[in-house]
Amino acid sequence: MTKVLVIDDEAQIRRFLRAGFELHGYTVLEAENAAAGLMAATMKPIDLIILDLNLPDLEGSEVLERIRSWSNVPMIVLSIYSDEQEKVRLLRLGADDYVVKPFGISELLARSEAALRRHLRSTNRDPVVRAGPLSIDLVSRMVTLQGNRVQLTRKEYTLLHALAAHVGLVVTHQHLIKEIWGSHDGNIQYLRILVRKLRQKVEIDPMHPTLIVSESGVGYRLDRGGKGALDSRRGVSSAYCA
Amino acid sequence: MSTFQQRRRLRDLTVSVPKGDVDLVSGQHSSHWTIFLAANAIPIVATLALVWLATVILAVVNYFVPLNFVPLVYMLPVVLAATQWGIVPGLIAAFTGAAVADFFFYPPLYSFWLENPQDIVDLLLYLLVATVTSNLAARLRKETVVVSRREKEITELHAFSQSLATCLTDRDLIFAVQDYLSNTLRYRTVLLATAQDGSEADADGTAVPAVVRREAVKLMAANDPHASTIVERGNRSTWLVRVITPQILGYGAIAAELGDSPGERAAAVAQRVDQLLEEATVTLKHLKVKEAIEEATINYRTEILRDALVGGVSHELRTPLASILGCCSVLEEMPAIRNDPRSHALVEAIHDQAGELDNEIRDLLDATRISAKGVRPQLMWTDPTDIVSAVLKQKERRLASHWVTLDLARDVPLVRVDAVLVEQALGQLLENAAKYSLVGSEIKISSRCEQDQVVFSVKDQGSGLTVGEKEQLGKRSFRGHRHSVAAASPGSGLGLWIASTFIAANGGSVHAESAGPNLGTTISLRLPATVPDTPQRVDAIND
Repeated sequence: MTKVLVIDDEAQIRRFLRAGFELHGYTVLEAENAAAGLMAATMKPIDLIILDLNLPDLEGSEVLERIRSWSNVPMIVLSIYSDEQEKVRLLRLGADDYVVKPFGISELLARSEAALRRHLRSTNRDPVVRAGPLSIDLVSRMVTLQGNRVQLTRKEYTLLHALAAHVGLVVTHQHLIKEIWGSHDGNIQYLRILVRKLRQKVEIDPMHPTLIVSESGVGYRLDRGGKGALDSRRGVSSAYCA
Repeated sequence: MSTFQQRRRLRDLTVSVPKGDVDLVSGQHSSHWTIFLAANAIPIVATLALVWLATVILAVVNYFVPLNFVPLVYMLPVVLAATQWGIVPGLIAAFTGAAVADFFFYPPLYSFWLENPQDIVDLLLYLLVATVTSNLAARLRKETVVVSRREKEITELHAFSQSLATCLTDRDLIFAVQDYLSNTLRYRTVLLATAQDGSEADADGTAVPAVVRREAVKLMAANDPHASTIVERGNRSTWLVRVITPQILGYGAIAAELGDSPGERAAAVAQRVDQLLEEATVTLKHLKVKEAIEEATINYRTEILRDALVGGVSHELRTPLASILGCCSVLEEMPAIRNDPRSHALVEAIHDQAGELDNEIRDLLDATRISAKGVRPQLMWTDPTDIVSAVLKQKERRLASHWVTLDLARDVPLVRVDAVLVEQALGQLLENAAKYSLVGSEIKISSRCEQDQVVFSVKDQGSGLTVGEKEQLGKRSFRGHRHSVAAASPGSGLGLWIASTFIAANGGSVHAESAGPNLGTTISLRLPATVPDTPQRVDAIND
């Protein structure tokens, strides 16, 4: 059974996280401060850590760095502030993803599952990544959409590969630019245009992207479900003008 | 290196004051004539050299071509000497020039005698013109010196007033005044409080010697508004201490460190201190420094209070709300609740209302932040499609009971905006559209490119706007007709104001259109569009 360690000083938040995770079959361990969290992470076998940034005894980012110094365990960061630069910094420090409060349990579960899968894939070496109707074979470099092969240019494939390697998790703009153009040659404008071109080939409806989702000011995410906001609502129709 | 240390290196630039003045240290008088010669030796020698140069040139030219405008050439040294060094060197040049011209160029040669009456008239006329010119040139020089000194003073005062503008406390002000005096005087200068314990450190952390403080206290106690004294400290630095009136914020004396060999500089410094204190007092009075300090202190405290409030509200209110919203999301997934329509409806109601409350708190926080610090957008190239998708995802729950249609043009270019701010603004429009229109009615979201603008529009079939409301829309805390008729219309009325502010910060504008009450509203966000693709960019994107 997957063990989740929740490090958060707010008892009410811990309570609903416990209920939510247990409802979906996880075992939950709680820590009310950084010291208890670090102790639990060291002493017990943990599969996933949910870490609140606002802890009474130590900065959440410091806890993140300390755990990352010895462990590769998937970590999701919770924060009440939604500062984009801070999100990028946390991802750079080794967080697998972040969720801004308030959030629904389904959002956190989706992120957690993506982080766990990525961790599992890095050990299992499963070469095929699936996101909705899209399938990417990271070894044979074959991409199919609803079973039909999709031809991508080299840069488009590099972009999709970087996103697929972290399917379900956010990948920062800088990481993608470095993957595609090296450290210096690319910029965010090129990346936006390349994403547009890639969406033309892999999205069912490029004007209503559901697979390659933008995280404003931070990066992109290859959404595993491939289900957009509009699809889940009743009574939605789209009409596009050229 | 500190500012003061830099100043210390400059302190040997002495203030030029005639040495014949009364010396505070020795009290002796010196000969005016000796002092004059000593002070003007270089200009006089230079003037004579100019006259000699003019004579040599004239002699050479005269050897080849006999000249008959000799006095005219001697006007050059006169003008140069008068403009460079003043009237005395100018007059010396005039008379020396006349004498030399007579000696070398007028018959009989090599004698000061003149045999031709015409030559006498020539030289007298030259002397008259040279004297007048010398006088005018000297005046011009004096005025130039005054103007350049004023300019320097104004520059220093400007720098002083700028440093005053950043003062938040009385202490900051005292340091600013000290800095100004030290800079202008070229000596380290310290203001001393009326009652000192003799241990307080100066702005740069170095203490004023106890003996200097004791002397200052004695002087202040003597109640003489012009009292001053020199404090000699053996082979260590000497200080000039002077009482100041009126006091500057309770500081009643000034001490200037003159270095280890003050000599006669003390007199000049004392005089300069008087001038500067008079100027500083007037400046402080004009700048209403005391009032400005009080205002700045109040503003500073208000800001601290506002930040504490914003931080407190953010944490104390939003954290419990995050728990409520989280609990609701778990409850909604529990089989017992999901299978019981009544319980599910209740949980949904709690979820919706808590979400509404969270939005309102966020609006209040945004409004407070905008009012306090303005909006500082972080511009980044963004795809308008991403903005629409992100907002639809954020407002998924709020729009669930409406019929949402999209009309997105494919040719919309990238925009250079702060995507988070634009998303919040567009989110506000969608919130309002959902709030002020009936459940099940259509909300149409469109994006298009119009000339050099990218336009996002949200059109609802709701309660519409009157002409008056259209003009008022977007003003802070606007609440109009539609707020009173909508079934569920809680809110501060801040939403559109926040949206307008965020869009304005991105260089865009917000426009509202409505055919009238109950005929729906269309609100558009207009943002500046970007430049077309360049070949270089195409190369970078293609393989």
